[in-house]
Amino acid sequence: VNRSGPRALACFLRGLQMSLSKPYLAVALWLIQLLIASVLILPIGNSLHAELDRSPMAERMVANPDYGWWETIRRTHPDLLGNFPDVATGLLSPKGLRWSELPGLRGIGATAFSLVLLALVAHAFALGGMLGALREPSSSLVTFGREGMRRMPAFLIFTLAAFAAAFAAYRWIFVEAGAALAERVKDLHTEQAALAVTAVRLAGLLLALAAIKILADSVRAVWVTRPDLPPVSRFFFGVGGAFGRPLRLLGVLLLYAASTTGLYVLWLVLDPSAGGEARFALVPLILSQQVFVFVRLLVKVGYYAGISEALTRTPSPEYSYVAPDAPASRSPSLDGG
Amino acid sequence: MSPAKVRALALALLGAAAAARVRAEPLPPAVASYQITCRLDADKKIVEATEVLTWKNTTSRAAATLRLHLYLNAFRNTLSTFWRESRGEHRDGRIPESWGSIEILRMTGSDGADLLPGMRYISPDDGNPHDRTVAEVVLPRPVAPGETISVAMDFVSRLPRVSVRTGYKDDFFLVAQWFPKIGVLQERGWNCHQYHASSEFFSDFGDYDVSIDVPARFRGKVGATGRRVDERETSGGRVLYRFKQNGVHDFTWTADPDYLVIQDSFREAGLADVDLILLVQPEHESQAERYLRAARAALSGYGRILGAYPYPTLTIVDPPWGARGAGGMEYPTLVTGGTSWSAPSSVQRPEAVTVHETGHQFFYGLIASNEFEEAWLDEGFNTYMTDRVLASTYGPNHVSLDVFGLHVPLGIEIRYPLDPNRRYFEVADWDVLASASWKFRNRESYSRQIYSKTALTLATLERLMGTPAMNRALRLYADRWRFRHPTTRDFIAAVNDSTGRNWNWFFDRTFFSSGIVDYAVAEAETEPARPPRGLFEQDGRLGPTLPAALAKPRGWDSRVTVVRRGDVPMPVDVLLRFEGGHVYRSRWNGEARWKRFRVAGGPRLIEAIVDPDEKILLDADRTNNGLETRDDLRAATRWSARAVFWVQNMIDFMTVAW
Repeated sequence: VNRSGPRALACFLRGLQMSLSKPYLAVALWLIQLLIASVLILPIGNSLHAELDRSPMAERMVANPDYGWWETIRRTHPDLLGNFPDVATGLLSPKGLRWSELPGLRGIGATAFSLVLLALVAHAFALGGMLGALREPSSSLVTFGREGMRRMPAFLIFTLAAFAAAFAAYRWIFVEAGAALAERVKDLHTEQAALAVTAVRLAGLLLALAAIKILADSVRAVWVTRPDLPPVSRFFFGVGGAFGRPLRLLGVLLLYAASTTGLYVLWLVLDPSAGGEARFALVPLILSQQVFVFVRLLVKVGYYAGISEALTRTPSPEYSYVAPDAPASRSPSLDGG
Repeated sequence: MSPAKVRALALALLGAAAAARVRAEPLPPAVASYQITCRLDADKKIVEATEVLTWKNTTSRAAATLRLHLYLNAFRNTLSTFWRESRGEHRDGRIPESWGSIEILRMTGSDGADLLPGMRYISPDDGNPHDRTVAEVVLPRPVAPGETISVAMDFVSRLPRVSVRTGYKDDFFLVAQWFPKIGVLQERGWNCHQYHASSEFFSDFGDYDVSIDVPARFRGKVGATGRRVDERETSGGRVLYRFKQNGVHDFTWTADPDYLVIQDSFREAGLADVDLILLVQPEHESQAERYLRAARAALSGYGRILGAYPYPTLTIVDPPWGARGAGGMEYPTLVTGGTSWSAPSSVQRPEAVTVHETGHQFFYGLIASNEFEEAWLDEGFNTYMTDRVLASTYGPNHVSLDVFGLHVPLGIEIRYPLDPNRRYFEVADWDVLASASWKFRNRESYSRQIYSKTALTLATLERLMGTPAMNRALRLYADRWRFRHPTTRDFIAAVNDSTGRNWNWFFDRTFFSSGIVDYAVAEAETEPARPPRGLFEQDGRLGPTLPAALAKPRGWDSRVTVVRRGDVPMPVDVLLRFEGGHVYRSRWNGEARWKRFRVAGGPRLIEAIVDPDEKILLDADRTNNGLETRDDLRAATRWSARAVFWVQNMIDFMTVAW
């Protein structure tokens, strides 16, 4: 009996291999993201063109952001940006998101908020399609669409539940804990100690988010790969899968996070969007951006394939019977006889 | 050359170098002097003290009463004017309910008469019966003009947890506004305001001699206004420090066993030498040189324009974590800075505050305007000078993003003086700048008007009159009012006198107005000149035949309309740029609502810009200051592409957790 099963790295690499063999899955995700982004970009793009196309300031703005220009646009067009920058920066602050600012979202901020809901639905659909298509040896974009729609009700419930759990984790582990500790943090002796407290809050949040993700992905993967079981059993098999192989699943998740972070670091180091003054630089810029997004999505598909691999590889990674090696020197006469 | 000659030459050179340095000038005659002996109880967070106030009536009228500031009583309870105005929020967020107070236990006159029964609390600004920050003392007999009296007091100051300028955090103490301090008697009566949420201080110059008794663990870790003249052991394992400084108008001290004490000096030909004492927190030790460099830059930059800093010492205090409310404050010869452990070198975190607070040694310290009534004369003027010093010393600042407490530079430039003061535009019409500090709509309006509008107003004035003329005006103002109490009118007079022109119109539209400045190019069109159509006179008869001279027009017809969208007129330049490098520049007085420029048969117009040299920094919207005649889609398209890209990434990031 072999209890070890495949390692996280092997699962992740196998997932990447599957992702590369079915690139249309990354294309489908890319298209979905591009379409959602376009909804937000149209008002931004129109406003930018209206403000910049005939402005002498445009020259300054081609390559680099001009602080004064953005400050003025934000102030003079409150219906466009509103308090969106404050909300966005609030997410990164030690205090976290200020809930009181959410009702004040206008323009792009309000659209972005609506798009989060749309993205949730699209995410549920895409995961159903992706996991379904990965399971079939010969699949296509049609399989992706069909599987996505087929899994939609259940996957939407899983995704919304995971979203709610992640939101609750952010609120209670990071924001409320921060508020409760605020005065004590001021009493700490040094700023470094205060930063350590923030780091602990952040680590707690990340751990909770990782647990939620592993649980949700495990349930979704098992939901697709074990259609022979009734829904309740599939759900609990999924939960059991997450609890049964937490380290392996966490390993796949960490490899995914590390790969994606590496890609971002590479992007920031190369920074292909900076410095281009010439008109023709626009095309390489857009191309490089979209290639980056596509590569990132290939890794993403690879992650889901890796998770599926880690949970449901056949023969089953656990308790699988492995036949003993054949005798080293078999007598040919036996066969021949 | 013989050794004797070399020695003589060396001595001559040394002499010349010494002569090049400015010797300390005479300090002002004392009006209000203090001799204080105090004892810190570090566990109870109280200071017990004895004070002898020596005060001279410099007015032409007898004074029947004295008025005293008791600033710490602002923290006595939530009924004080300070608490009511601040609503429990100030520079460091929510004010902790850690109460402070100042209690006078004994008060006697020079003749030994008990003055305490004649003391009562008054509220000259708002009539708040619960405010205890100003006390009036009825004297047994009036103080005649020119007469000097002495008043002895015993008092106890209870320090609050640091939130607004003064107080303690663990063993860190910043003891400011801590002693009974006399107001300023003017010809029209006492100028002695309550402690408000949005105001600072005002007092007369005098000589201070203060002895501070602290527990032994603070040995060598005490800083204060002036020069330390004594350090000795006292009974009970304590240490006594004595500090003296003449010609100042406040006294503050600090103690913290954690301080690293770093000594340095400022030496520059033409300016007086200054000993710099930096009291820095251990976790900020790596930023010590940043603090010191900023202080030197300020002493040099301000001193060159306003005259030398006249005191022998400058102490710079770095408050610890959790005591940010004590940072960014100015006291005579002592300033508090503030930084972050992760302050990147490209972000002027300790530099800006250090230059600013050191600059207050001039605007507030030497040119001692009334911070209650005309706060722009110190905060605003100082912000203007801070921007100049920072720009010349460091160049542009940079935007940083607070990522979970770590400051990450974004590489976006903040150019002086406009960018850091843009915050004014959001409150541009909320208040008239020339208002008493506590009469602004709120603290936001107060700070943005007082600091930023004043800075932009003065920077605009500098651009209108030229930097050398501005420097001369500032120097005249500084020379006239050094060690005195000027008002806004005095500054305007200095500007008018130094330039020989009347600038009252400028100040009426800026200091004394809440109007907005905004000029825009509303229209910039150019098209090939076309032959006229219609009926034309030829050989004395009207007919459709076009005269030959008009039949083939050449060049382009261009039309530009510049409009004044704001309430406040300012003189502006208008620049029209044509193909072939032709430029047309015109000065418009900006009074009318619009002005049109037409060019017939000229080169093709490329762009029109109002205020092309960015002189009018008060212009609330510079994005409308120019128009080009042809579309350039590059910037908008590139930013749209970036926006698509980052939204794609955000979507992915958003969905990653579930």
